[in-house]
Amino acid sequence: MGQTETFYYDNKIVRNFGVATALWGAVGLTVGLIVALQLIWPQLNFSLPYTTFGRIRPLHTNAAIFAFVGNGIFMGVYYSLQRLLKARMFSDTLSAIHFWGWQLIIVAAAVTLPLGITSSHEYAELEWPIDIAIALVWVVFGINMFGTILKRRENHLYVAIWFYIATWVTVTMLHIFNNLEIPVHFMKSIPVFAGVQDALVQWWYGHNAVAFFLTTPYLGLMYYFMPKAANRPVYSYKLSIIHFWALIFIYIWAGPHHLLYTSLPGWAQALGTTFSLMLIAPSWGGMLNGLLTLRGAWDKVRQDPVLKFMVVAVTAYGMSTLEGPIMSIKSVNAISHYTDWTIAHVHIGTLGWNGMLTFGILYWLWPRLYNTGLYSQKLANTHFWLGTLGILFYAIPIYWAGWTQSMMWKLFGPDGILVYTNFLETVTQILPMYRLRALGGTIYVVGVFIMIYNLIKTAKAGSLVENVEASSGPREVHTSTKGEYWHKWIEKRPVQMLVAAAVLVAIGGLIEIFPVMLIDNNVPKISSVKPYTPLELEGRDIYIREGCVGCHSQMIRPFRSETERYGEYSKSGEFVYDRPFLWGSKRTGPDLHRVGDKYPNSWHYNHMIDPTTMSPGSIMPPYPWLKDDEINTKYTAAKIKVLQSLNTPYPNGYADRAVEDLKAQALGIAEDLKKNGVEKEGLENKEIVALIAYLQRLGTDIKPKQSVGLQ
Amino acid sequence: MYKYILQSAGNINWMAIFALLTFLFIFITAVVLAFTKRKEELRHYASLPLEDGIKE
Repeated sequence: MGQTETFYYDNKIVRNFGVATALWGAVGLTVGLIVALQLIWPQLNFSLPYTTFGRIRPLHTNAAIFAFVGNGIFMGVYYSLQRLLKARMFSDTLSAIHFWGWQLIIVAAAVTLPLGITSSHEYAELEWPIDIAIALVWVVFGINMFGTILKRRENHLYVAIWFYIATWVTVTMLHIFNNLEIPVHFMKSIPVFAGVQDALVQWWYGHNAVAFFLTTPYLGLMYYFMPKAANRPVYSYKLSIIHFWALIFIYIWAGPHHLLYTSLPGWAQALGTTFSLMLIAPSWGGMLNGLLTLRGAWDKVRQDPVLKFMVVAVTAYGMSTLEGPIMSIKSVNAISHYTDWTIAHVHIGTLGWNGMLTFGILYWLWPRLYNTGLYSQKLANTHFWLGTLGILFYAIPIYWAGWTQSMMWKLFGPDGILVYTNFLETVTQILPMYRLRALGGTIYVVGVFIMIYNLIKTAKAGSLVENVEASSGPREVHTSTKGEYWHKWIEKRPVQMLVAAAVLVAIGGLIEIFPVMLIDNNVPKISSVKPYTPLELEGRDIYIREGCVGCHSQMIRPFRSETERYGEYSKSGEFVYDRPFLWGSKRTGPDLHRVGDKYPNSWHYNHMIDPTTMSPGSIMPPYPWLKDDEINTKYTAAKIKVLQSLNTPYPNGYADRAVEDLKAQALGIAEDLKKNGVEKEGLENKEIVALIAYLQRLGTDIKPKQSVGLQ
Repeated sequence: MYKYILQSAGNINWMAIFALLTFLFIFITAVVLAFTKRKEELRHYASLPLEDGIKE
């Protein structure tokens, strides 16, 4: 070993990301609590567009995933990476750009989502300029991370760093593919994929956002912070190697389990199920590796709140990764999909795994960053119990709600007719469970605020050690020896590790997605399916803006219980002009794919203005502004042109007369509304008319006589 | 049992079989390589989080 070098770890950037984690955690979870309360008391939507469930539910999910967990990832990576590599971060400037860039993106999301600016792709709702900003900041993070890896003093890359590398490369790939879109204007884009293809790419992304944003980086943090907190090495390093390669390879294939029994080709669904089941093995290998790290240290777990948080986190990871594969078995998914079971499942993951591990890391880090003791162990213990009980109070009622509702949807009487024909009955039945869920959420959020108080007091008791002095010998120049196996070789070569991880995850993506893109047979065409009229197109964009997809699916599965309730099951060929697809993933309200021609226009009008007038007891928020706001036709022609460039068969030059057609169709609907007692001046120019046009079109193309589409 | 689960998953065609075989290749390779490592090296790797070079 050469001469010892002295250097400094950057603690300030870790502190900054830590503060952002706690702050955005409080914001994201509080917004989550608000949306939970809106489901019990719809009045809390305040009849305002910006505070309506459909718009702020994505604010909650984005804040929880990208603001809370995202900052948590960066906090943990910036702390552990420097120490594992025995090097300061590559560039303090890049660290700062990364930090402030990420916070600005979060602010942009917090502004645009309540404004209704959304792509409607779940967990990828942000519009194209913000997508580009995310890509740039992510690249800055990558350069900073790889720069640090390249200037490291420790030859070997610890397993946590492999997880960080896999995270970076996969998120890059997912983000690019799922956001391939053509801008219509500054805050509106149209995705290049349509219908089934769009659904497959979206859920390939959506599933892997869970896998490579909520899981792999946190596994890296687990492999670093659990040994630190327990002061003993990981139980089995061999197991961690197997865990890593098996997990990143399998995860990428499992996305189609979000689309079972949909119009997705059967083989793609089969892949999703098979790989989801296989996921149990590496996931549980990782969980056991984490828990067994505490072997012989369980006495410490009784004393130390940090370890308590970590044990619950890893246990929640194990429970969630067992439950996920079980939910991917088609017969189980037939029951769980579209219900609150899914919501319970993801919250075991986010509140349990991500939340509790983040809190444990924060409690461990803060005294070290501020060179003092934790202000109150008692408060940390209180937080631990509030967090744990909060999860239970959250999850158990909505598991119950999910099962109850699913059973009610599927229940046939002895006469062969659905027992609960009115969807609303299945909603009001589970409202008590929703109340208990909100109680659980409140308990959890109270715990987070107690933590913030404890961390502030800890920080005030000490002072931030911005730069920590450390020393190490320079990196040994590695010379390969004969018979050296390649894994040792790759563990010392970050670039090759990056390429290997990229190849592995790309295999899954390519095999799964490319055939659907290229082979026509996968999406059989239906000749009666026509593009949307300009008015329907504008109505569809209003549907997207208001986040209707958050509560209403447009995908009737081929079950008798669904075809009896909603009508003919959905065919893949019906969605070829759907950009983006709007199949949804949760039915807080009924499926809407065959709602076209089901009710008169006036029913929709009254229902949108105040849902309880048509459905007493409904928890759907009112949308009174739709009757006052005018349809924006400024971009109608531009939308038609973009769709034409994507092979939507509008006639040549149609963009120029699109607004004319739009007005004619709107006039027809407005006259019909007037005939049926709706009195309002200038109704033909109002947004409500466009939305009604879209709703009345839904699912009617395979009933040609009633089709009102573009002929 | 596993046959039932796989059958209920739908049509298991060459895509799924290819995926399964590739996975088995990766998995077996990782297992073999993990178990052929020298013990002292593994000990060193596993202890990396505990050796951060900070001057006390």
